[in-house]
Amino acid sequence: MSERVMRCEDAAPLLDGFVDAELEGATLIDVARHAAACTSCDATLQELIALHETLGGHGRADADSVDLSGLWRSLEPQLVQADARRAWRRRLRTTPVWASALAIAASALFFLSPRTAAPPQSVATQVARRPNQAFIERIDSEGGRFELRRDRKNGTMLIMVSATGDDLP
Amino acid sequence: MTRVALVSVCVVTVLSLAQQQALALEVQITAVEASYEGPSDPRLLDMRPRLRRLVGYRAFRVLQDERRYCAWRSPAAFSLPGGRLVHVMPKGMRGDEVMMHVQVINGPRSLVDTDLRLQNRGYMLIGVDDDVHAPGILLIMLKAVE
Repeated sequence: MSERVMRCEDAAPLLDGFVDAELEGATLIDVARHAAACTSCDATLQELIALHETLGGHGRADADSVDLSGLWRSLEPQLVQADARRAWRRRLRTTPVWASALAIAASALFFLSPRTAAPPQSVATQVARRPNQAFIERIDSEGGRFELRRDRKNGTMLIMVSATGDDLP
Repeated sequence: MTRVALVSVCVVTVLSLAQQQALALEVQITAVEASYEGPSDPRLLDMRPRLRRLVGYRAFRVLQDERRYCAWRSPAAFSLPGGRLVHVMPKGMRGDEVMMHVQVINGPRSLVDTDLRLQNRGYMLIGVDDDVHAPGILLIMLKAVE
């Protein structure tokens, strides 16, 4: 088995991978052997390890010190809306074409139909009572003909009877 | 003893009259001649524009005005010029409306026979055009006050 001798120019690009434990076993051992014999590469390696530990420690400390509860509260509604939008899109994709057409037609009817000012009640309360309004419940005439007229403003009722056969005035 | 009996009779009479009055409906029938020309009655000046719009004539003259208390569910007859009759029977109240049966008769003919509801203190009109020789028509104003 031949022993591979690693030079500084071979080891230098692998030092970061060595510190991060990203190298394969054989390469990792070769870099370790070279660093043990090379003071320059060993010094570089020590700096990298120290930097790695410093960064790692800082990152953990920062992560421990961050309070994410407030961040979550502010993000949660947006996440819910995003989820709802996603669900709606998913539902739309699975809705049959006829159902979509029906929904569009219903929406068009709703927006194009005339609006009423008040919620619907009984017919009696919808019609505004005029001050002199009268109601005919039954009417009959023998031989003559009659015509009902009503004053629009006050609701005054006129029963006009003609027994002469002439046109009503 | 006689004095007590007299006072009792008076009290009973007054009470029964008051009760009858309270249950009665005041009906006013006004007969008006409507024509194309001539002066209008000053009593009708306020109503003249409305009458003109409804009837189509321009001049209005009061021929007869009768006001009477009518008992509920009892027919009452009002005579009008020209031998016509108006039969009125107050049937009851529904809220602020007076329910009545009204019939206008000329000789053997019933010109109008109607059941109607009238606003309390309100009035309605019945126009009768049954005389070819008359220059205008007869207008009957019917008012009810409970």
